[in-house]
Amino acid sequence: MSFTIIAETNGDALHPTTYQLIGAASSVGSNSIVLCPNGNGASEAANINGVEKVISVVGDCFDIFDGGAWSNALNSVCEGKILISASPNGREIAARIAAKRGIPVVQDIVSITEGIKVERPIYSGKAVETVTISGDAVITLRPNAFEAAEKGGDATISTVNQSADIKISIQEAINKASERLDVTEADIIISGGRGMGAIENFSQLEDIADIVGAAVGASRAVVDEWGMPHRMQVGQTGKTVTPSLYIAVGISGAIQHLAGMRSSKYIVAINKDPDAPIFGVADYGIVATWEEAIPALKSALSEL
Amino acid sequence: MNIAVLLKQVPDTTAKITISGGKVDENSVSKWSMSPYDEYALESGLQMKEATGGNLIAITCGPERSKKMLTDAAAVGADTLIHISDDGVKDSTHVQRLLAAAIKKYEAQIILCGKQAADTNGGSTGPGVAEILDAACVTLVSEVSHIGDTFVTMRPSATGTEKVSLSGISVFAFDKGNTELRRPNVRGIMMAKKKVIESISAGDLGISLGDSSIIIDSQNPPPEKPAGQKFEGAEHVPTVVSKLRNEANVI
Amino acid sequence: MRIMAYEALDFYDVDSLLSEEERMVRDMVRDWVDEEVIPNIENACREGVFPDEWRVSLGEMGVLGAPLEGYGCPGLSYTAYGVICRELERGDSGLRSFASVQGSLAMYPIWDFGSEEQKNHYLPKMASGEWIGCFGLTEPDYGSNPGDMITKAEDKGDHYLLNGAKMWITNGTIAEIAVVWAKLDGVIRGFIVEKNDPGFSAPEMKGKHSLKASVTSELVFQDCKIPKDRILPGVKGLKGPFSCLNNARFGISWGALGSAQACFNSAKDYAMSRIQFSHPIASYQLIQNKLAWMLREITKGQLLAYHLAQKKDSGDWIPEHISLAKMNNVDIALEIARVARDIHGANGILDEYPIMRHMANLESVKTYEGTHDIHNLILGRHITGIQAFTRDL
Repeated sequence: MSFTIIAETNGDALHPTTYQLIGAASSVGSNSIVLCPNGNGASEAANINGVEKVISVVGDCFDIFDGGAWSNALNSVCEGKILISASPNGREIAARIAAKRGIPVVQDIVSITEGIKVERPIYSGKAVETVTISGDAVITLRPNAFEAAEKGGDATISTVNQSADIKISIQEAINKASERLDVTEADIIISGGRGMGAIENFSQLEDIADIVGAAVGASRAVVDEWGMPHRMQVGQTGKTVTPSLYIAVGISGAIQHLAGMRSSKYIVAINKDPDAPIFGVADYGIVATWEEAIPALKSALSEL
Repeated sequence: MNIAVLLKQVPDTTAKITISGGKVDENSVSKWSMSPYDEYALESGLQMKEATGGNLIAITCGPERSKKMLTDAAAVGADTLIHISDDGVKDSTHVQRLLAAAIKKYEAQIILCGKQAADTNGGSTGPGVAEILDAACVTLVSEVSHIGDTFVTMRPSATGTEKVSLSGISVFAFDKGNTELRRPNVRGIMMAKKKVIESISAGDLGISLGDSSIIIDSQNPPPEKPAGQKFEGAEHVPTVVSKLRNEANVI
Repeated sequence: MRIMAYEALDFYDVDSLLSEEERMVRDMVRDWVDEEVIPNIENACREGVFPDEWRVSLGEMGVLGAPLEGYGCPGLSYTAYGVICRELERGDSGLRSFASVQGSLAMYPIWDFGSEEQKNHYLPKMASGEWIGCFGLTEPDYGSNPGDMITKAEDKGDHYLLNGAKMWITNGTIAEIAVVWAKLDGVIRGFIVEKNDPGFSAPEMKGKHSLKASVTSELVFQDCKIPKDRILPGVKGLKGPFSCLNNARFGISWGALGSAQACFNSAKDYAMSRIQFSHPIASYQLIQNKLAWMLREITKGQLLAYHLAQKKDSGDWIPEHISLAKMNNVDIALEIARVARDIHGANGILDEYPIMRHMANLESVKTYEGTHDIHNLILGRHITGIQAFTRDL
C-alpha cells in the first residue's frame, strides 16, 4: 500500500523534509503518492526514488495559509496512511485531515518501523512513546529525524482542481527583524564567558544566534566585569535555563554557572583549556580558542 | 459572548518523570499543573471577557484530579467550569470529539487553547476541534481581540508576523507570549472554592467513543545519551555540528 | 513564566493535609515569591531596602491580616496564615516580618480591641496594603520585660500626650500608623498613633547585619499629641500586646520552616554538584549525616506547626503551645542554616547563595517575639507552676 505524502515546499521547490517523508515511507516498504499544494515542487517530486505518482492540487485557496481550507482541498485526494512534515503548518493540516476523516493523528514521530510502529518524544523529551498504528492515520514526522530519499525515478504528475473556502484574511504583514529571544525562552542558547576576551567579541556569538534562532547568554564574570546586561546571566544568581542545546564558549564551568545550565538537554563546550570543568558536563567538547572555533561554527551552521 | 477555554492538567514541567513497567508513573508525579500554553489561552480569554463582557467557560477532558485545575481557573476569573470524564478515551481524536460536543452544548463562539499540551506534545486539539466544528483555526497566536463581529490576531509568518482577521466561530491555539499571566488573589480563591464544577461523561454529550486504531505500546526513558565526546582543535567543529543535527537532533 | 518552580521538602506529605483553599493560597504565594522575590532579594538585602512593590503585591494578593474576619480582611484559617508565613520566609525572614507585623501586630489589635469606628477606618486600608502598620511595645531598656515599660500616656482632657521611645520596631519608618503600648495611669493601654501626629518621629535604625531587607526603626514620642479616639477601648494590661504576640509567634513557627527548607534545598543541590576528591560531596558520610539531620528536624517541625495550626483553628490552645513551636522551629532553622553554610564551604559566604542571609536573619527571629530563653521559661513555668524569669536577689 502506498502512503500519501503531503509535500512541504519552499516557494516552488520542495523543502528537504519532503525527501525525508518519502525516505521514511520507503523504509517500511511503501511507495509514496505525493500531493503538492498548489502544484509547487511537483516536477521535482516526480524525480524522487520511491514516488509512485504526484498529484498537483491546485486552487486559489492555497494563496495564503488557512489550515481549514488547505486540509479541505487536500483531503479529497488523501487515502490510507498520510505522512506530513511536523512543521507548524503541517501539524495543523494533519490534525484537521485526521479529524475530518475520523482517523487518529500521531504527531512528531522520530522513527518508523514495519508494523507500523512509530516512536515519538513526550514530556518535552523526558520520555519516548512507542505506538502501533494498525489502520489509517495521519502521521507527522520531525524534521531531520529520517533519512532522505535519493533522486531518481520518473513518476506521473496529474492535476486536480480543488477550491475550498478561506476563512482567514491577512490584514497586515509585519516584517520585523526578529527580536532575539531571551535566555529563558530559547531552545538554543550560546553563552560566552571570560574566555571571550572582551565584550565586543560577543557580536560573533550574536551572529551565530541569529543563524539558528538562539538566545545569547553570559556568565557572571562577564556581567559583573564587562557590564553585560544582567538578564543575560545564566547561573546561580542569574537565570536557570533548560534549552535543548547550550553552547558554552570560553566558560570554565564553575559550580555557580553549572547550577544555571546543567539541565540543558545537550551541552557543547568550546574552551582552550582541556581541563576546564565544563568539559565534565559537555556532550560535545571542543578544545580550541574561540577565535578559531567560532568562525568555523558560524560557517558550519550557515551551511545547514 | 461565550468564550470557551480548553485546558489540560499535566505533570508540572519542572517535575521529574518516573517510568516504571513501560509506562510513565502518574502516582509519582509530585505536582500537577495547568499546561503552560493553556495558561496563555486562559489569560487571553480573561482579557477578552474584561474588554467585551461574556462568559468564560473552562473545559477540560481528564481524570478526577483535573478538577483542581478548573478551580484554579475559577480563582482567576473563569465563570463556568466543565469537567468531561476521560473514561474510554483512547486517542486525541476522542478528546477532540468530546471537547467539540461540549463547545456546541455550551454555545461558545470563540475557542482558545494552548498550541500543544506539555505532556503529549501533540498539538492536534485546536485544529482538530476546529475541523469538527467546521470552524477556522489560527495557531501560534499570542493575542486575540474581538472587534465588532471580527476576531483579530497575530501569528508568525515567514518574514515576521502577520495580522489576521476572521469571523464566525473560531479556534485560536496559543504560543507563549509577552503577556503577564495574572495571579489569583485570596478573594478569587475563596469564591472559586464555592464554584460548582459540572461533571459530564461522553454519554451525556451523546458521544460514543468506540475503539482506536492506534495503541500506545510503551513509554520509555529517552535513549541514553552517548558519553561526552571531546575533540582537540577547531577543525572538528563541522563534525560536532553534524552530530548535533544527526545524533542529537537539536538543530 | 516559572522556569524552575520551587519544591519544598515535605517528607511526610504534611502539605497533603491542607484544605483546597490552603493549597491554592500556598501556590499563589509560592509562585509570587519565585517570580518577584527570589530574583530581587539579594539586591534588596545589599541595599538595605524593603521594596515597595512587595507591599503592593501582598495587598493585591489579599494575604495581609490573613486570619482576621470582616472589615475587608481575608478571613482565612490560621493554617492558611501559617502557610503564607512559610512561603514568604522561604524568600526572606524580613519579608515575612513585614507581613507578621502588618497582620498580627498592627491589624489584629485594632480588630480585637478597637472600636467599630477604628476598625472601619483602619482595617480595610491595612488589608489592601495601602496603609502600613507597626507595633510599638519594646523599648531600649525593656525587651523581655515589657511590663515595666516607661513610655507613658497622660490624659489631657481633649487629647492624650505620649512620651517615651520604642526600639526595634519593624516597619516603623514606612508606617502610616503605629499601635503603641504605653502606661496610662500605670496601666498598659494601646494607642493608635498616625505618622503625622505632632511630636512623633520614626527614624530608621541603620547598621543591621540581619533582616536587612526589612525596615527597623525607633519610635520617638516627645509630647506627642493624639486625639482621644485613638485609644483601643477593648483591652487593658499586658493581655493586649501578648495577644498580638501569640498570633505573630504562631506565624513564625511556620515561617522558620520556610527558611529551613530553603537552606536544605540549597545545601542538597550544592552537595550534589560540588565535586571534591573526584566525587560529589553528597557521597560522603559526614555530608549525608548533616542532610539527614536537617530532614529529620524539618519533618518534626512541620508536624509541630501543622498540629498547632489545627489547635489554633479549633480554639483549643494556650499560649504555651505557641511558645513551644516558635522556639523549636526557629532554633532548628538557625542550626540548619549554620550547617547548610558549612556544607556550602567557602561558597556559602557569598550572596550567590541564600544561606548566610537566612542564617543572619534567623538570629533576629530567634530573638524577637520572645527570645529562645524566654520561651524556655514560659514552658518551665507551665510545667512547674514556678516562674523563673526573675527573683529577688
